[in-house]
This record gives sequence, C-alpha cells and structure tokens, in this order.
Amino acid sequence: MAVSNKIYNVIDLKTGKLDPRIFSDPDIYQEELEKIFGRAWLMIGHESLVPRVNDFFHTYMGEDPVILTRDDKGKIHAFLNMCRHRGNRIVRADIGNAKNFMCSYHGWTYSNEGDLEYVPGEEEAYYGALDRKSFHLVEARVETYAGIVFATWDPCAPSLDEYLGDARWGLDVFFNRLDSGTEVVGPVKWIEPINWKTAVDNCSDNYHVPTTHLSAILVQGRHFGLPRTTHEQQFESPNKHLFINGHSLTLRFLERPDQARQTHGVTQENRAVFEEYYRATLSEAERRLGSLRAGKLQLGNHSLFPNGVLGFRLAHPRGPLATEFWHFVVLEKGMPDEIKRALRIGNGNFNGVAGLFEQDDMDNWRGVTRSSLTPLARKYSQDLSMGLGRAGSDPNFPGTVAERYTSENNQRNFYRRWEDFMNAEDWEDIPIEPGTADFEGTATLNG
Amino acid sequence: MTAQTFGDGVSQSELWHELMQFYINEAWLLDDRKFREWLDLFTDDVFYFMPRRLNVGRHDLDREVSGEGDLAIFEDDKTYMTMRVDRLDTGMAWSEDPPSRTRHIVGNLVIEPLLSGDLKSKTAFILYRSHHETDENIFAGSREDHLRKEDGRWRIYKRVIVLDANVILAKNLSVFF
Repeated sequence: MAVSNKIYNVIDLKTGKLDPRIFSDPDIYQEELEKIFGRAWLMIGHESLVPRVNDFFHTYMGEDPVILTRDDKGKIHAFLNMCRHRGNRIVRADIGNAKNFMCSYHGWTYSNEGDLEYVPGEEEAYYGALDRKSFHLVEARVETYAGIVFATWDPCAPSLDEYLGDARWGLDVFFNRLDSGTEVVGPVKWIEPINWKTAVDNCSDNYHVPTTHLSAILVQGRHFGLPRTTHEQQFESPNKHLFINGHSLTLRFLERPDQARQTHGVTQENRAVFEEYYRATLSEAERRLGSLRAGKLQLGNHSLFPNGVLGFRLAHPRGPLATEFWHFVVLEKGMPDEIKRALRIGNGNFNGVAGLFEQDDMDNWRGVTRSSLTPLARKYSQDLSMGLGRAGSDPNFPGTVAERYTSENNQRNFYRRWEDFMNAEDWEDIPIEPGTADFEGTATLNG
Repeated sequence: MTAQTFGDGVSQSELWHELMQFYINEAWLLDDRKFREWLDLFTDDVFYFMPRRLNVGRHDLDREVSGEGDLAIFEDDKTYMTMRVDRLDTGMAWSEDPPSRTRHIVGNLVIEPLLSGDLKSKTAFILYRSHHETDENIFAGSREDHLRKEDGRWRIYKRVIVLDANVILAKNLSVFF
C-alpha cells in the first residue's frame, strides 16, 4: 500500500491543542480513506438486515459502495460494488434478494459469492482467452460481533476480537446481553455538511449534552417525567468513561438491576413494562455477563473507531465537508412488542435527522468543521484540555478510565488513535492494547 | 367532480373546495410560524408518520416505503408533536434559532369520502426551506390524510408523509410537513 511519509502530530497530549486542518484539508481526507477506512474494521451492517439466503443490503466502507450478501449457504460476504470489467456498479438498490448480480453495462454476471459466472462472448469475442476466475468481485474480510457485521479491506488487520479488545467488555452490556441476540431497524439516511470526525467525537462527548440538547431535555421532562440532565449532575456523576484501542465507552451505574436501560422511549407510563422485562431476563444476563455487567451497568454514549457511534449508527465520509449519517435502532430480539415499539419510536423521534435531540447537533458540527477553512481561523487550535492528566487505570474497569464522566479524554484519545492510523506504514505499526478484562460469564464474540 | 352528494347534502366538489381551503390555511399557518394553531388541526389521537423511502428495484416496489412497525423518520403521536412545538418556545431550540424560512406549496388534492363519514385525502407538496445565510432545502413528497369532523371542523387523525428522497439532502428536519 502506498503511503506518504508525512508524520501527523495534530493532537498535543500535554496541552490538548488540536490542529483544525484535519477537518477540511482535501489531501488529508484522501489519506484518511486509504489509511483509516482502508485498514480498520468498519461496522457495515447487521445479520438481521439479510435474514434470508440470497438477501443483500447495500452499504459503504468509507466512500466505497459495498454489497453485503448472504449466499445460498447462509454465509455473509462483503463485496466492492464494482464490476471488474469497467468499474460500473452492479447493484443500484438499497436492498433485495438475488442469486446473481448482472452489470447493466455489458452483462458480466457474478454470483452472490462473488464469482464471475458469465461473460457475454466469452468464447467468440474473447476467443476463450479471458481468465474468468481472476475477476472475482473485490471481497473484504468479514467478521461478526453479536450479529453486527464488521469488514476490513486489510488482510493484515488483526482479528475483530483483537480490534475491539477489552472494549467488548463494555459493549457486551448492551449488545450481547441475551442468548437470542439483537436485531436492527433502519437506517434513516441523510447528508450533513460536516467532517465525519466531528460527529464521531461528539457522540461520546458528555459535556455538550446539557447545553446543546437543553430544549429536548426540558420538553421530555415536561411530557415524559424524565429527570433533567444538568452540568452539575454530570460533573458529580460516578459514571465511567473508558478508552480502549481508540474506542470510547461510557458506562452508567444502574440504581437497580431492573432499571429501564435506555432513556429514549421510556416514559412514566411504560417504565413498569421495562422493569418487568429486565427482571425477567436478569438471570440469563448474569449467566452470560456476570453480575456486574448484567445488573449494575448500562452502556451509554460510545463510539467505535473510526465511524460507528451510539449503538449502531454510522458516519460515512463523503468528502472532507460532508458526512452521510445512517441511523439504526438496535433491539433485543426477545423484547416484548410493547418495548420494541417504545424503543423504536423513542430512538427514532429523539435521534435521527428529525430527532428532538439530534437536530440541534448539526449546526454545531458544521461550525466546527468550517472554521478550519480559512487561513486565519485555522491558526487557532481547538482546545481539548479538559481533564488533562486525569485518567488512568481503574481496578474495576478495563482500559484507560477518566476520573470524571465529563472530560475531553474522549477527544484526545480519538485523535491520538487517528494519528496511530495516519502515521502507520502498515498494521505492524498500529498498537493494540493487551486485554486485561475479566469477561465473566458465557458470552463470546459470536453470541 | 360529479354532483354526488356527501354527508349532509354537500356535493363532492364543494367538499373538495372546503378541503383545499383547509390545506391552504394549514400551509399559511406553518409558513407564518403559527405552530400552536397548526397543532390544533390534528385530533388528540393523531398518528403523524413519515416512513423511510427506499431505493429498490421495480420487482421490489412493495418494499419501497417502510411500513408501520419499522423505523421511521417521524412516528409521532400528539404528545411528540406537542413536544416539537413546545421545544421551539424554550428559547434553546438551536436548530430553529434563527428559525427556518419555509414555503409550503400544496396541491393535487384528491379526496375520498369514507363510509364512516370521515375523509381520506391525498396531496402533493413542495416544501422550500431557507436557513441561516445560505442553506437551502427542497423537499417534495405526498401526504395522505385521514380527517374527521370534530366540533364542526375537519381535523386530521392520521397523516402519512412520503418524501421522494432516499438519502435526505438536508442537515436536519426541524420543520413540519
């Protein structure tokens, strides 16, 4: 892989100063596509999006269009959506069911396992000289974690298990709680005029919530009886913020094991239904995750490097100044319909393009992105100094743990990981933190 | 329109004019930012729904619009609609402060009287939105409404808004449809 020799030093870990050019420089953006989106394990889909054999779901890895297929043996593949003849897209729909994909340009036809099966004029026009086997669709490595499909283009990338590392200890709390696993609904798709990194670093930024989302916090308090999130409450919060391999996880302590786990969708009226569900599933969750993760913690805001945020939501880069956001909602398969409905509506109406919370984010992100466009403004660094030197190890939690729930450890960690990828010649140079977490219980990477 | 009568002797063409005025009035309420009055056009048991519009092949057109029970863009009852309007009055709804400048153009009305005395209507719309200095969005789509008479006025008890866009080319949807 051709890489430039440029060494990026964009985040000063002693002062928290961040060079804002990374948000708009077109050359840096092109390098990100190659060195980050070309190497990292990317969330691209969920098994429930292709439930039947021959189903496909169209997705992206960076800017590259990707067909996620389930072949007739049930195996999941991820292919670059590109005919190997002239490069045309062979799939143009979001979803469908097909054993074969025919390129609409000259008719080259591929199986959903990626083999080039038919070429018009193979004997006559090519005189039998075309080596069809060498024109397999470009295929990514695929692995799944608790039903979520991840893919990478890099054959040298570590396993997904190593890539997630101890971050899975915290992710399991939400994604891997029950034997029957999860399903997703969505996505809602829209284009934001922002750099992709701004959205990702924000989705684990606890500091912005009481200000950016104040109007939504006030009306959900008024109509749903939910407590008001304040700065004071967040500064005093005992909740944890963990950083592992560039991933960021907030873990919130539950008051009781049967506490309703999520805010969006929970109201005073339906709270009892949630509590009954969490009581009924507690022993199964304890068997799978141990008592701490099953009954004392819930997963809050989080991001998976590089572009997965808040459950299963994706920030697809679309040039330095644009991001295509995909909003899915993750549900436990065994949830009663009433809970699925409440979570779908709550997460759909509070987040997403029309979300009562999320609609207030985009102009902030755009302002951050665009301030790096002028020579004057980009002379001024972003300040990410909050909580400098205030993170370390914690006997009860893996990774690096922030002293306070609100800090900019998240951003410093994210941009340091960005440097790890951008400065690496290959995966040999990208550090992976050794696992130390005690994965109590029976849950594994694959369910 | 035929001379067919409906309900209390109103002809379908009179009904069409009545509904068209209803929608013209609704558009002005929205564009003049009279959102409380706009809310009052909906019943207390309203279902205000904007499903997702998928990009699918011709043989999959039954999957083109995500159904009820699937993740939607808006899936509001009257409480959520009221929250959206209440939010604007908190003074801290940043996506609408400064507010969007909108123009709702509504037309192509067809009505279908239902046996219950209720009405079903379908309209096409173009919503132009200008925001901040140079942001512009154009949303096009259809709205299918169910209406019933309450206290002598038509009120909407179900609205299904289907955008023509697949990937929405807007930073957010902080305006009403």
